Amino acid sequence: MHELIEQARQSVDQAELYWKRAHTVSASYENGRLQQISENDLSSVALRVIHQGRMGSTFAVSPDQPGLIDQAKTASAYGDPATFSFAPAADYPQVDAFDAEAEKLTSENLITLSESVLDAIRKKRDDLPLEVNAEMETRELVIETTEGAQAHQKATDVVLSLGAPIKGAGMPVYKWRGSASPQSRPDDLIDEFLEWYGWTEKVSTPSTGRLPVIFTPDACCLYLLALWAGLEGGAIEKRTSPVVDRLGEQLFSSRLTIADDPVAEGGFGARSFDDEAVPCQRRALIEQGVLKGLLLDQRSASALGEASTGNAVKRELFTGGTETKPSPWPIRLSVDPGSRPYRELIAGLDEGLLVYFGMGFHSGNYPQGQFSVQAIGFHIKGGEVIGRLDNTMISVNIYEDFKNIRAVSAETGPALGFINATAPYVLVDSVQVAGT
Amino acid sequence: MKEKLAGIVGAVFADYADLRYEENRKTRISFRGKQLVEVASYETSGGHVRAYAKGGKAVASFSDLSRAGSMAEAAAASAAIAGGRRDKPLRLAEAPAITESFLISSPRDARHASVQEKLDLVAHYNEMILREPTVATTEANYDEFVSHRIFVNSEGSVIEYDIVVANILGFIVTKRGDVMQRVRFAFGGNEDFGRLQHREDELEERVGIGRALLDAEPAKAGLFPVILDPSESGVFIHEAFGHLSEADGLQNNPAFREKLKLGAPLGKPLLNVFDDSSLPGLPGTYVIDDEGVHGVRTPLITEGVLSGRLHSRETAAEFGEPLSGNMRAVDAINTPVVRMSNICIEAGTDSFDDMVGSIEKGYYLVGAKGGQTSGDQFTFGAQWGFRIENGRLGPMVRDINMSGELFSTLQAISMVGTDLEGSERGGCGKAGQANRLSGKQTPPIKIDQVTIGGV
Repeated sequence: MHELIEQARQSVDQAELYWKRAHTVSASYENGRLQQISENDLSSVALRVIHQGRMGSTFAVSPDQPGLIDQAKTASAYGDPATFSFAPAADYPQVDAFDAEAEKLTSENLITLSESVLDAIRKKRDDLPLEVNAEMETRELVIETTEGAQAHQKATDVVLSLGAPIKGAGMPVYKWRGSASPQSRPDDLIDEFLEWYGWTEKVSTPSTGRLPVIFTPDACCLYLLALWAGLEGGAIEKRTSPVVDRLGEQLFSSRLTIADDPVAEGGFGARSFDDEAVPCQRRALIEQGVLKGLLLDQRSASALGEASTGNAVKRELFTGGTETKPSPWPIRLSVDPGSRPYRELIAGLDEGLLVYFGMGFHSGNYPQGQFSVQAIGFHIKGGEVIGRLDNTMISVNIYEDFKNIRAVSAETGPALGFINATAPYVLVDSVQVAGT
Repeated sequence: MKEKLAGIVGAVFADYADLRYEENRKTRISFRGKQLVEVASYETSGGHVRAYAKGGKAVASFSDLSRAGSMAEAAAASAAIAGGRRDKPLRLAEAPAITESFLISSPRDARHASVQEKLDLVAHYNEMILREPTVATTEANYDEFVSHRIFVNSEGSVIEYDIVVANILGFIVTKRGDVMQRVRFAFGGNEDFGRLQHREDELEERVGIGRALLDAEPAKAGLFPVILDPSESGVFIHEAFGHLSEADGLQNNPAFREKLKLGAPLGKPLLNVFDDSSLPGLPGTYVIDDEGVHGVRTPLITEGVLSGRLHSRETAAEFGEPLSGNMRAVDAINTPVVRMSNICIEAGTDSFDDMVGSIEKGYYLVGAKGGQTSGDQFTFGAQWGFRIENGRLGPMVRDINMSGELFSTLQAISMVGTDLEGSERGGCGKAGQANRLSGKQTPPIKIDQVTIGGV
């Protein structure tokens, strides 16, 4: 136990120390040139206490910063009545989130990897202003409580991304891969990038009205964030969620199965405990379209008379980090794949969209499952991709539109930002499309 | 401290090095509905080093001040490695060395108000909102950021400066049956605690809008002429044009650089846009940026023609354009990036009535709701709006999101109103940094055609 927890026992009822240390090295290339090497060596601390029945918190860069317990105690005078106790001792599941080989990666190693990617792309196309970024982070998270929790996890993240701005449009086509281990040159990702980039060279305008839309794995963050806003304990507790009292109900197409799975094989994003030191586990959220589970932290769980699902994360839609309060958030979502290759889904459409990103998600009414975004992606006609979308908007209500999913692909890939998720290509039957 | 930091950058083996050290105090008070969920006031610190050597660049952030020297040396070594991999060296534009302090002192400085006063004020506003029967929940926050910064560089600059900003902001969530609506409120934008007080009337008005939206009709999808109120035109010019005037995003994007050469015609002669970090009272106002360069007024579009750009020392050298003092870092652990200070559209000559009168079928859109931009595509939302039919304002509409292509949309600005309004709160995300200190001052504008994505 850290000394701070021992000291806290003397002056408050309960305490929880969250201490994160991270060392990051990255190399980033813009327009094919090494733009910057970056290194971070950062430490951050959150201390929560329960004092006279109320919760208080404070933050710092080191647990040795003087006065932390007093600061948290002062905050508790204004704080919420504590409705739960900090986590007790627990057995945490083993995950393979750390690789000692990854920890050893230097900026030179990242430069070598990045340049091998650049060379491989240039051999096939030498006219692209390529952006490549390779990053290694070693992270150590310690959470200890006066109630006995002693959670400790070391993780390595190796992230490689590659892309290039679309000619004449400026926005990038972008692919990435994350792993807990060192990466070699991702030839499959390079080929996929080049194919997609080739699709951008012509602008094509789809019909407006209702069209089938294939959400690529990258775009799963759109519907998964809209789903998160409904499943998170705070919205359930306030009864503002559209899924209140609907556990066991068929909400979506039976082709949709989604789990939160922080402990499965594959180290990237794996967690053995959440940001409140509650053990993580695999949990079904949507099974063949039926609502099976919610996302709860300790606070929302206590308000609902349930147990935390191990989904407390220091994260909000646009911010996150040690100074953010833990709240319900998916740890690592996985959407089940189907059996058909995604090229078959494309080939089967007379007309439709292949969407890999949506701009403006946060301006929509996503707490109600709705988003109206500028669709970034491609136009499909006669079973083929015929060009990129330009100024095309899609409006989706997941609780309506995702009732009719025509197919999900066998291939899966990672979400493009916001959440840690893996998903297949999902073909939604009919989505509202507007544009020029 | 200043001497010690100056000693570190002076000793580093690099062509140029700078170091920014920050001591920050953050105060947050948050209500969710009736519940007070957080009162926190705490200090953090940390630093950031940048080094240029042999034409390459490296940066490093650290929490522990005792690591400053070794991180700076490592950054210098990395910069030399980076330089060795480049065929085209990075250079910095000349800037004068500055040894001066720019500290904020104001009689109504938020630092002088007690946590209890801040809590009482936000609790009072939150209670006001909760009295409305259609309100399902609220989000009401007090958010204060006080940053004391020391900047030193290897050219002799030693600068001490403050950033102080206090905001009260949140959401009013109304609900009836299956319909739920969110309306935003935000007061503040600088160090003045007085700006946060006595805002009951405006808050009541917002609550009324939240109630009225429950009966409003959803906007219809399609192409329409629109009038943007100042808060919307501010977000529009920020998202659709402003980000493309930030030279770091353009530096390595050859196609866009070609398209955005100074002198490029971008709009009609009635359109004048500039960035100005010296305007009093706006969130993006400052004296010195995080690269030790004075902020200035930079013309961006003059009579419809691209006339300037926002720069770092590196991009100013790359483009051969004047320094603008737009390098900002949200806090110690971040490297500065080029960003707008206060982006402004100059007032025009069109009255609001004439603007409405010119539209047969379209929308008047009100209340910024965030936006996003990538390349030449932009999108942004409106919290509410009104249908315009045959030159008259009609019924209220909701669920409005719009998008467009930058270049054609700028050309489609056909009227510029007379009444300027400044934003009180600036949120802007770039390079993973959420900047509170991004301001806008704009009149209403008419755009002949945008895409509205309905439901």
